[in-house]
Amino acid sequence: MKTTITEQDGNLVAKFEGRLDTAAAPQTEQELQPLKNCQGHNIILDCSELAYISSSGLRLFLTVLKNAKPLGSHVYISGMNQELRNVFTMTGFINLFEFK
Amino acid sequence: MKIARSGQLKKSLQGTLDIMEQQDARLIRSITLPNDTQTIPQLAEFVDGVCEELDLDMGTAMQLNLALEEAVVNVMDYAYPAGTRGDILIEAQANDVRLIFTIIDKGFPFDPTAKEDADVTLSAEERPIGGLGIYLVRQIMDSINYERVDDQNVLTLCKQLKSVTAGEA
Repeated sequence: MKTTITEQDGNLVAKFEGRLDTAAAPQTEQELQPLKNCQGHNIILDCSELAYISSSGLRLFLTVLKNAKPLGSHVYISGMNQELRNVFTMTGFINLFEFK
Repeated sequence: MKIARSGQLKKSLQGTLDIMEQQDARLIRSITLPNDTQTIPQLAEFVDGVCEELDLDMGTAMQLNLALEEAVVNVMDYAYPAGTRGDILIEAQANDVRLIFTIIDKGFPFDPTAKEDADVTLSAEERPIGGLGIYLVRQIMDSINYERVDDQNVLTLCKQLKSVTAGEA
C-alpha cells in the first residue's frame, strides 16, 4: 500500500495504490497527516489505483472528511471501481462524499 | 496455544455444517493466524485462494475478503487480553451450494452478532468513527452464527453460491 500526496491546481490530491486493509491503515494514517492543514484547499482522494478497502480504511476517509468540513474544504473521491463503489453504497459512505 | 476441533465442537458444528458431507465437499481448507492485524494480508491470500479454487468472480471475492477481514479483525482486537498472544483458526468449506467460513478462537466469550448495527444513514458529523465491521459482515454474508463451545468462540459465516446446476439458477 502506497499513499502519495501532491498539490494539483490548488487541490490536495491523495493517491492510493494497493490494498487499504487493517494492516496498512496505521501507516496510511501517518501518510495522510499533511491533509490536516487543508484550509483553503479542496481534497481529492484518488482511488483509481486502490484495489481494496476495509472499514479501517473507510475510517481514515471519514477522519479526513470530518477534519476538512469545518475548515470549509470539500472532499472529493475520484476513480473508484465498481467493487469499491459497492462498499461505499453498503456503508452509506456514498452519501457522505462528493464524487468526481 | 494450538486450536483444534475437539469432539464436542465437531459434534456441535455438525448441526451447522450438516450439508458439508465429506463426499459432497468441493473444498476444505484452513489457516491459523496469531491475533496480530499485520497478518491480514495472509488472510487475504487464503481467501483469494479459496475464491480462485471455487472460480468466484472478482466482485464476490472482494466482498468475501472484506467480510472475513472484518470478522477476523474483530476477533484479533477483542478475543484475547491486550498484549497476550492467541491463535485464530479460520476454516473454509464449500460444496456446490454454499461456502462456509468458521472462525474459532480460545479467547473471552464474545458474541459479535449481539452488537447493534451501525446507523449508515447518519451525516458525516454524526457518524461515529468505528462500528462498521460487523455491519459489513452482515451485509455481505447470508448468515452469521455464533456459538460458545468447549471454551471456544465459534463464528460461522455462510454465503450461498450461485448454483451452477440448471433449474436452481
